[in-house]
Amino acid sequence: MTKHKTGTRAEWLAARLELLKAEKDLTRQSDALARQRQELPWVRIDTQYRFETDEGSAALTDLFRGRSQLLVYHFMFGPDYTAGCPACSAIADGFNGFGVHLANHDVMLWAVSRAPLVKLQAYKRRMGWTFPWASSFGNDFNVDFNVCFTEEQQREGGIEYNYRREAGAPLIGRSTAEWQESPVAEVAAMTGTDVATYTRERPGMSGFAFQDGVVYHTYSAYARGLDGLWGMYQWLDRAPLGRNESGFWMHRHDEYDKR
Amino acid sequence: MTATKRNKPAIVSHDQWIAARTKLLKKEKEFTRARDDLARMRRALPWERVEKSYAFEGPDGKETLAQLFGGRSQLFVYHFMFAPGDTEGCPICSFWADHYDGAGLHLPQRDVSFVVVSRAPFAAIERFKQRMGWRFKWVSSGNSDFNYDLGVSFTPEQVKRGSVFYNYATTDFAMPDREGASVFYRDPGGTVFHTYSSYARGIDLLNGTYNVLDLVPKGRDEDPDEPVSWVRHHDRY
Repeated sequence: MTKHKTGTRAEWLAARLELLKAEKDLTRQSDALARQRQELPWVRIDTQYRFETDEGSAALTDLFRGRSQLLVYHFMFGPDYTAGCPACSAIADGFNGFGVHLANHDVMLWAVSRAPLVKLQAYKRRMGWTFPWASSFGNDFNVDFNVCFTEEQQREGGIEYNYRREAGAPLIGRSTAEWQESPVAEVAAMTGTDVATYTRERPGMSGFAFQDGVVYHTYSAYARGLDGLWGMYQWLDRAPLGRNESGFWMHRHDEYDKR
Repeated sequence: MTATKRNKPAIVSHDQWIAARTKLLKKEKEFTRARDDLARMRRALPWERVEKSYAFEGPDGKETLAQLFGGRSQLFVYHFMFAPGDTEGCPICSFWADHYDGAGLHLPQRDVSFVVVSRAPFAAIERFKQRMGWRFKWVSSGNSDFNYDLGVSFTPEQVKRGSVFYNYATTDFAMPDREGASVFYRDPGGTVFHTYSSYARGIDLLNGTYNVLDLVPKGRDEDPDEPVSWVRHHDRY
C-alpha cells in the first residue's frame, strides 16, 4: 500500500482547486516575465560573423532565412568533443520537433556549435534531427555570447557565465580531483573529453532581431534559464516522483536500453 | 523580410544592456524557484484510488489502465482531441504532440510511461500517427468512460445544454472533447491512483514553442481573439 496521502474524489478535488490557484499565479507570472523580456533594450551587432552551414558559408543575417527573429541554441559541441553534449541533445530532442512551428511564426531556430561542420553533420545524422545547425568554428561568436571560455579564463577566474563572474582554478572552487569524481566527469567522458575541456563550452540560447538591414542582440539565457526550453522537465514536474534525479541519468536517445 | 510590428526598443551599448538584463535575471530566477515550489506542491496533492476498470485498444492490443504503465510506477496521459468519425486529430493537440514526441524519449528513464489517449478508433489513430511521423504510444479509449471521468469529453446532452465542467469550473464553452493531461501512480501491489490532471492553460508550460516564443522580441505574437489561429499540422505549413 502506498505511503502517500490518499483521499476521496471530493478531497482530491478540494486540494486540486487550491493548487490550481497557485498554478494560475505561476502562469500569469510567466506571462508578465515574457512582457518584461520584450521590453529589454537591444544591442546592435556590428561584428561580421561567418558560419559554416549545410548551404555553405553564411553570415548571421543569412541564418534568419527571411524571418525577422532568430534564436540560437548554443549547443555544447567543442572542436575536441567526439560527440555532442548529452544534456544539450535532450534539449534538442525537444526543439527538433517544434522548430517547424516557430519557422512559420516568424522565428528561425538554429543550433550553433564550435565543432567543425562535418562533425555536427555526422552527429545530427546519428540522432535523426532535422533542425539547421551551423558551425562557428574559428569565429568569436561563442566567445562573444559567453558560451565558450579559454583555459586561461578557467585558471584565472575570468569566466563570466550567466551574468556572473566565476571563481578560477581550481575549477569553480573545487580541485580537479574533486571534479573528476563528480557527475560532470561522467558527462565529459560521454563527449570524449575531460572536465576542463567539456566545461570550456557552456549551454545557452540567444535571441536576435533583424530590422532595416541591421541585426540586434535582444536576449540571452543560460544555465537554469533554459529550464523551460527543456520540454522533458516540464512533464516531469507534474509526475508523482517529480524530476526524480540522483546523479546524471540522461543519455542520448539512441543510448537508452530498449524496454 | 517581415518587419517586427512593435516599435523598435531602445538601442543601447553592451554594458547598458547587461545592466538591464541582470535586473531581469533576478525576476527570472524568482520564477524558476516559484516553478520548483509549485512542482513540490503538486507532489504533495493527495491521491485518489482509481476504482473503475478501463479498457484501451492500441498497438499492444487490448490493455487496462494498469497495463499502460508498461511496468513503470508512473503514467502520464495526454488527452488528445480526436473524436470518432474524424479523419485527423486536432491541429492544436498535434502542435503539442510535436513537443512531447521528442521529450517522451527521455521520460521512461525516469520511471514515467507516456501514453496518448483519444476517443477515435485505434485504426484512425494509427493512420494519422503514421502521417505525422510520431513515435509515442497512442491508444483509443473507445467507448469507455475514461475521457468523461477525467473531464476531457462531454456527452451530447452536456454539450447541448451548453454547460460543462472543465478545468475545475463550469463553462459554457461546450465542445465534445477538450485537451488535458492526467497523471497516475501504480503501487507495487498493482493499485492505481489518480495523482494529477491539468487542462487549458495549465498545460502551457508543456509546450516548448510557447516557452521559446516567450523569449523572442515579438513574444507569442498571436491574435488575442484567436490565439492559435496560426497553428497548422506540421505537414500543412
